[in-house]
Amino acid sequence: MGTIRVRFIIVALVVSFFAVGMAAFLNYFKYKSTISGIVKSRVLVIGRNIENSVQASLSVGMQFMELGTMNALLQREKASDRLIRGIDVFDQTGQILYSTERPRVGEKVANSWTEAAARSKTTEWGTEAADEYVAGISLKNNFDLTVGFLAMRYSAEEVERAAKVAGREILLASIFSFLGIALIAPLALIVVIRRFERDLRALEAAASHLEDRSEPALPTGSAFDSAIGNLRSSLRDANVALDDLRAKLDSVS
Amino acid sequence: MLEKNYLWRIYWRLAGVIMVCVVVALAVVSYFSHRVFDRELVPETEQKAATVGASVRALVLKATGYGIDFAQLYGVEQTFAEVFEENPEFAYMAITNTDGNVLFARGTEPIGARTHFRNPVVLQIAHETTDLSKAARVGQQYIVSMPINDAGKPLGVLHVGIDAAFVDHVLLEVLLDVVVVLVVSLFFTLELLNFMAGARLASGLGEFARQADRMRSGDFTATARIRANDEIGRLLRRIDSAIDHLNVRYEFLVGELQDKLRTASAQRREDLKPAQAALEQISKRLRFGSAPEAADGDEMNLNRIRAPLFAFILAEELTRSYLPTYVNQLIVAIPGISPQVVIGLPIMLFMLIVALGQPYLGSWSERVGRRKAMLVGAVIATFGFTGTALAYNLYDLILWRSLCALGYAMVFVAAQGYVLDRTGQQNRAQGFALFIGAIMVATVCGPSIGGILADNIGFRASFGVSALMALASILAIVRLPTTEVKLAVAKPVRGPRMREIMALIVNRRFMTLTGLAAMPAKIILTGVCFYLVPLYIVSIGNTSSMAGRMLMVYAVMMVLIVPLSASLSDATMRRDRYVSVGLIISGLSGLLLLLSDSFLVLFGVVFLLGLGQALSIAAQSALVAEHCQDEIRIYGHDAVYGVYRLLERLGNAMGPLIASLLVILWGYQGSFVALSALVLFCGIAFTIATHGPEWQPAEPAPS
Amino acid sequence: MIRAALALVIVAFALAADGDAQAQVQTRPYRIYAITFRGMTDVEKGFQDYFSARRIPVQITFRDLNRDNTRMPGFLEEIRRTKPDLVYTWGTGVTLGVAGTYDQVDPQVHITDIPIVFTLVAAPVLAKVVRDLKNPGRNVTGVFHVAPTEAQIRAMASYRPFKSLGILYTPTEQNSVVVVEEVREVSRRLGFSVIAKPLKLDANKKVTSEGAADMVRELKQQNVEWLYLPPDTYLGTIAQKTVIPAAMAVGLPAFASTEQLMETGAVAGLVSRYHSIGQFTAYKAEQILVNKVSPAKIPVETLTRFALQVRMDIAEQLKLPPPLPMFNYAELIVPKVEEAAAPKQ
Repeated sequence: MGTIRVRFIIVALVVSFFAVGMAAFLNYFKYKSTISGIVKSRVLVIGRNIENSVQASLSVGMQFMELGTMNALLQREKASDRLIRGIDVFDQTGQILYSTERPRVGEKVANSWTEAAARSKTTEWGTEAADEYVAGISLKNNFDLTVGFLAMRYSAEEVERAAKVAGREILLASIFSFLGIALIAPLALIVVIRRFERDLRALEAAASHLEDRSEPALPTGSAFDSAIGNLRSSLRDANVALDDLRAKLDSVS
Repeated sequence: MLEKNYLWRIYWRLAGVIMVCVVVALAVVSYFSHRVFDRELVPETEQKAATVGASVRALVLKATGYGIDFAQLYGVEQTFAEVFEENPEFAYMAITNTDGNVLFARGTEPIGARTHFRNPVVLQIAHETTDLSKAARVGQQYIVSMPINDAGKPLGVLHVGIDAAFVDHVLLEVLLDVVVVLVVSLFFTLELLNFMAGARLASGLGEFARQADRMRSGDFTATARIRANDEIGRLLRRIDSAIDHLNVRYEFLVGELQDKLRTASAQRREDLKPAQAALEQISKRLRFGSAPEAADGDEMNLNRIRAPLFAFILAEELTRSYLPTYVNQLIVAIPGISPQVVIGLPIMLFMLIVALGQPYLGSWSERVGRRKAMLVGAVIATFGFTGTALAYNLYDLILWRSLCALGYAMVFVAAQGYVLDRTGQQNRAQGFALFIGAIMVATVCGPSIGGILADNIGFRASFGVSALMALASILAIVRLPTTEVKLAVAKPVRGPRMREIMALIVNRRFMTLTGLAAMPAKIILTGVCFYLVPLYIVSIGNTSSMAGRMLMVYAVMMVLIVPLSASLSDATMRRDRYVSVGLIISGLSGLLLLLSDSFLVLFGVVFLLGLGQALSIAAQSALVAEHCQDEIRIYGHDAVYGVYRLLERLGNAMGPLIASLLVILWGYQGSFVALSALVLFCGIAFTIATHGPEWQPAEPAPS
Repeated sequence: MIRAALALVIVAFALAADGDAQAQVQTRPYRIYAITFRGMTDVEKGFQDYFSARRIPVQITFRDLNRDNTRMPGFLEEIRRTKPDLVYTWGTGVTLGVAGTYDQVDPQVHITDIPIVFTLVAAPVLAKVVRDLKNPGRNVTGVFHVAPTEAQIRAMASYRPFKSLGILYTPTEQNSVVVVEEVREVSRRLGFSVIAKPLKLDANKKVTSEGAADMVRELKQQNVEWLYLPPDTYLGTIAQKTVIPAAMAVGLPAFASTEQLMETGAVAGLVSRYHSIGQFTAYKAEQILVNKVSPAKIPVETLTRFALQVRMDIAEQLKLPPPLPMFNYAELIVPKVEEAAAPKQ
């Protein structure tokens, strides 16, 4: 009896673990992606301001390479949101033309940036670096030729911190629920299993009294009653027939 | 039968209890998540509102900079509308002047907004010279207010309203996924219960019921079985010993009688006559002795196939909802072939390998042993999944998917053979119900969970999960019995020969069934479920999870309706009607897209498709035996079914190809409609073709 | 890891290949022979800027007709002599002079063996420069500068939505007649009405400005909400003196289809910036010279993004400030003449 009970309870625990685990996982990832999205769209608002500016300049005939006011513009926009670590504008070859950090001008950006920009199907793209995110916009001119790229680096710290806090809480809630199930489910299961075990016990009891010649026991209400009854009656019939034969044999000698 | 229903009733009750507990637990988790989301997301969104607001403010200041009077600005509501489009969480935007009166506004005004705007604290904001923004809860929204200040001169205040319910909207999406998890958990539970407790219990109870029946019919022959040492086993052993006692008694009595007869005098013999008569009576009614070797196969070990098969098929089903999108990502332009068709190539190749490999892998697995064949297949598939996860571009993806296909075909055929080996005439249908059942449950659980995984951890990691599942199935396969069972009547199974294939293709009766019914059914199945649904859903900007949910609806329909339709069509014997109706319903499914543009219609499409397929599939293969008796006589049962299955599986391969061509012609929605119309046409043609008298149900042929 | 390594190898090859091409290019600049009609404009500046930004070495020989077509044969002869890699032509007249219409090419006169790139041709198909915009089918390709009619209508509506539109045009200019038809077609689709008034012709069937101001007043009485100025040469000459003052007097805003018409006093217009046109023309030239694509296969196109120009002073006069979203993307023009209109920034 014990093993069946234990096995069913293990099933309950495994399934609950899976369900609660998946739910926690879903909530956590949803949270993380929502927060990421919010933060990213904040950054992209800034990006689009810069994009507008660049396109206006290109429109009046200024060369992309020689946008004098660009560095000042980048500094201004960076200051408007404390989240942004730095803004770079680079060309097709990956060389940085303008940046909020002087030393970066002339250097090459990481390959993942140019790859992400090339892979994207829209003008927006993004990638991740060591401890920061990069949100990018591809800059196009009046005949849709991509002249360069805008990349805004912003710290991952905010998202990470928020995700960690939320993750911890969700984890706690899940552990708490799982423990709750671990306590309640076996109790609830036992109610069902008991019925089952009772039927099995009836079987066992019947088994030990199979060869009794006594009258069939009162029905115990188990599902096997009819089967057991049939079993006993057929055994009894056979025995009776053999008894009869015995008697006939005995009567002769 | 008593024990079958009984055991499954127990399982369902247990599953019900477990599900209730799980629901409660999930509710608790959701509640706490909601609290976290509320607490953390709202301030972040307020930040975003401040940034967006600052951008709008800059625009306003630019306009006033050109000399336009603040109150005379034109088109401000248009700007607000553009903001709402980009940021659906914002529900209201307004600009008030220094007196707190609303100059421009758009969106749903929250209750109490007007009074809020006239609040002195809010009015004071206009005079702030810094970039400060203040947030407050007003009615059903959080309102973020910031000053519009032109170089020290206060002009007014800009307000952005965030819908407090947006957190609910975010969580609603999670809720859908959680419901999916719930449904999948239910099926997992049943499978696990069966796995953990079922095998011996089910076979033990079955054995018990059979013993009872046998004894009731007077059969007291002793079976030489080894009994397990659990509750049922002990019971069975008691029954065995009771039977043994009876047998011993009987033999003793018979021996005694015979002795007495031998040594009896004539008078004695007369006296012994009643005893003899009694003995004759007994031998007419009852039987004693030893039972013949059970030709019933190895039922206990039969059940063992379910777990590894489930795990392995699950690994493949996980990929259904996002494989085409992944292919799209890795696509390399092949000159001369439209990219739309190229996306379908891996799927087509997969189906083709499975179709062509199946006939020949059967005999191979027989030779090397089913367990070994499954092991080899699972290992190859594991490599295939790992390679798919790491694929560089389309070309090596095709290589890895081919490996998966090979592994899949091996495992599938070997598992089928395993079931065939261990079932006899009586329980073959049961055995296959078990086989099909495991596969169908995997198709319910797989795509939905796969879609969720893909959305959250990415495509490559999800293929990694598939590889892990395949690995897990290896562990389960290892636990299968190593001794192979060969039935005495085992005929060598071979693939269909070219001659047979050609002959059957031109056979009218055969092709009516295969070409008008079986192949179109498979074409629409793979075309819609494997190709169109995942791609279309993603193309309109929705997620792989949504595609997974739709495929789940299809699988659930199959799980629910197939057993029903199988027994009904068997009972009524009008299998061709079921096939016709099924085809026609499948054919109508895609036409739903003519009614509405919304992608929710797709749920109706997969619902009808599942219904139609379920109705026709069970009856189809039996129809072959029913109506192609002449062909079976000429070419043999194996050959006819072999060709039938081959063509059917070629239909699997053709599905994505046809669907992709239709997409090129008419776009996704057009492709759905056209594909369904094609199947509808075939269904009607089939109905007409089978209307004739030669299709009336004949005596069921011995299969 | 493997992916990264493979990627590196491929990038290395690509760079190597690129380096090769650069080396080849570096040795010899491309020779371009450019014929202009009225001197250097922003188009030529954009043309040259593109090559310098892309670091493509070119040697451009500029020849100016100075509105005198008799100089053309001399230029053609010089082309035959010097055999440049590419010929650049400014405007419809110059282009037809160098290349001829597609159905009447005279190999003695026109250039057939050197690729020709044209710019500022308003209607290439109508002028018979090419048969089909997507497939020029001859050694001529280029850039046209008029924004599609529908785009202009939409731009107008985005400034102020309207139900009725008025047009003045020259009935003898084929181009204008076509444009009016296009406007009518758009009007049927978008659901507004069009009232088009042809300018009057004198006894010799030549167009005159007589009565133009009255026509404007009539249009206003007929309740049109915008006056559209099509790319019409004659209209361009009378707009500033006659048409615009009449429109301003009755408070009717005018919408310009070209930059020149903008300058006459329309409140808004969807124009192609000449600089961008020049750059795009250079892009086409790059396809021919560097990528060695045949001009017959290069489509004749126009810009994808046009400049929406707004005259802030006229908007103020008409009391029609541009809608707020426009401040993000429109080119706001404030003539530097009056101090009062200087922007406070």
